[in-house]
Amino acid sequence: MSKLSRRDVLKFGAGAAAGLGFPSIVRAQSKEIVILGLWDQTGAFADVGPINDRGMKMALEERGMQILGRPIKYITRDGATQAGTSTRRTEEAVDGDGAKFVIGPWSSGVALAVSEVAKRKKVVHLFSGGTEDISGARCHRYSFQWAASPYTAAKTVVDSFMKANPKAKRWHLLVADYAFGWSVEKYVKEVGKTHGIEFVGADRHPLGEREFSNYVQKAAANKPDAVAMINFGGDAVAGAREIYNFGLTPKVPLIMTWSSGVEELVQLSPEIRQNIWVGSNFYYTADTPGAKEFVKNYTAKFGNPPGYAPSAAYSMTRLLLAGFDKAKSAEVQDVIRALEGIEVNDIVGRMRMDAATHQNIRPYFFMRCKSKDAMKHATDFADIIATGDTPLPKEYGACKDIGGF
Amino acid sequence: MSFVAAQILNGIATGMLYALMGLGLSLITGILNIPNFAHGALFAVGAYLLATVAVAIGNFWIALLVAPLGVALLGLAIEYVGIRRLYAAGHDYQLLFTFGLALIISESIILIWGPIGSSYLPPEVLRGGADLGFTMYPKYRLFVMLAAGLLVFATWLFLEKTRYGAIMRAGIENKEMVSLLGIDIKMLFTVAFALGAYLAGIAGALIAPIRGLNPSMGVDMLGIAFVVVALGGLGNLLGAIAAGLIIGVAQALVAAYWTEASTVVIYAVMAVVLLVRPQGLFGIR
Repeated sequence: MSKLSRRDVLKFGAGAAAGLGFPSIVRAQSKEIVILGLWDQTGAFADVGPINDRGMKMALEERGMQILGRPIKYITRDGATQAGTSTRRTEEAVDGDGAKFVIGPWSSGVALAVSEVAKRKKVVHLFSGGTEDISGARCHRYSFQWAASPYTAAKTVVDSFMKANPKAKRWHLLVADYAFGWSVEKYVKEVGKTHGIEFVGADRHPLGEREFSNYVQKAAANKPDAVAMINFGGDAVAGAREIYNFGLTPKVPLIMTWSSGVEELVQLSPEIRQNIWVGSNFYYTADTPGAKEFVKNYTAKFGNPPGYAPSAAYSMTRLLLAGFDKAKSAEVQDVIRALEGIEVNDIVGRMRMDAATHQNIRPYFFMRCKSKDAMKHATDFADIIATGDTPLPKEYGACKDIGGF
Repeated sequence: MSFVAAQILNGIATGMLYALMGLGLSLITGILNIPNFAHGALFAVGAYLLATVAVAIGNFWIALLVAPLGVALLGLAIEYVGIRRLYAAGHDYQLLFTFGLALIISESIILIWGPIGSSYLPPEVLRGGADLGFTMYPKYRLFVMLAAGLLVFATWLFLEKTRYGAIMRAGIENKEMVSLLGIDIKMLFTVAFALGAYLAGIAGALIAPIRGLNPSMGVDMLGIAFVVVALGGLGNLLGAIAAGLIIGVAQALVAAYWTEASTVVIYAVMAVVLLVRPQGLFGIR
């Protein structure tokens, strides 16, 4: 016969109710601050996710995995470089793990979908990429853009390149056919007009393209003074290699408008890098105290200098933590208010988060690749020849109202 | 006009490589009745072996001989140690085996050569462009077109004109009958897999100076190889060659006028052909 008394049954019932019925109450008592790094481990940016993760971890470890005297729980999820997977895993992390702060992913198109989740779930979202929509037409209170505005990038690249090559007025563009490519292309053409540049061709290619010979042959037929690529990662590497194979570079200069820097340049041999000009959100020889310290620590830990991907993750995480410090709170709305208008001096130099658009106003870098003989060591790829931080002019701004919470 | 001619030439060069990949996959799929998901990974191993051997000994030509042989040996080992044990176990197991193998080989490439890609330049004599009158075209691509053409022809010659080739073709048609005639069917399977692997390996080796090295390069090519097999007709070697060329040229011409569609055209061509001829261009089953 059962020895259970009525009192025992009540006790078990109460215990079960506490555990199953009120999980949110149990969770709320936790002091942990859960931060999600949405980094791709599979799909088109599978090679970038692991190094994004490195950068984010370094920034958290600098603070001893703590903020405001509370432990930070860092969780990562693989977004698979797909909007469906990324949004589902973000929602799971928010609902299941209590994440209220999301950093990533790496693809602009995917990030736009994740930004909608952040808005719906009311969580803070930091992102770095080439789409202007996050701080433009689809801006809202919860998402912040760390990368330079595509306008800032285009202005820095076109102005600096034309200063060094004033006669190169016929340009052929190769553009990745998604959110990031379209945004940067628009402003390269806008800024190009002010220099009298004629765009003799502008071809769009799908993300993940590996057969560039057809595009390059078309570019060669246009006899341009310069070829500018607005693509990223594997696409940029495959494109640059084919442009060299077809004999365009080094005769015709190649501009990699929005490059990851180190991660792309290391995949190209010194012969291919001749006469390549590179725009990037970060280059490891940036002359800032933050960069020097970060590059030293990163190189000591991983054996090579950081490119744009780990640096963006590192700096976004530091920006978020600076937001906590300023807010003296880990509540979502407090942190957002603190991030709006925040000014910090970080690895890229001075940064200010525009409160009206959530666009980071910051320098963009422009480099020229070195010849093989001029390289002092294996990763001495390029010299920074210019930086620029011209913000997007108001008339181009598409974020008319950032909205409420 | 010269621009269109240049694009067609480029399409043929790329198509030859697709044909080489499709030929190897068609051979394996036709004889062993296995969709070899590891075919792309073997292609990648060919590319990596070429660059490694060429850098180590400083001679591209010897590396071009050695690298695909290494891949053929790997293919031989895969069939002898793994696939052979699964013929009785049914299709699902063979499929899972090659799928798992593809992942293992890809991860092994990352472990051995690292996750970040690299470039390998063509030999000095094949660098730069050649003036063909209507266009400047990279010398190395011309060489690849010629080499791939010769390889495709040699494979066709072997299969059509030699006794062992006839046995292989018979194996594609009817394995049981070949076995009843007293031919060692197990040996036939091993040779077919090794030959298929060799073709994947040499396609990878030839393409390394064009596309560079990347752990995911096999995945990019695998999809195209399957399209070539489906388009040409399962187990049909002439079909694989024709399909490779059709896809290469279609991709080049579409890229000339509608660049955004240059990837999707591969699958569009396949879809249209399969709607009209479900057995593929030259297939009978």
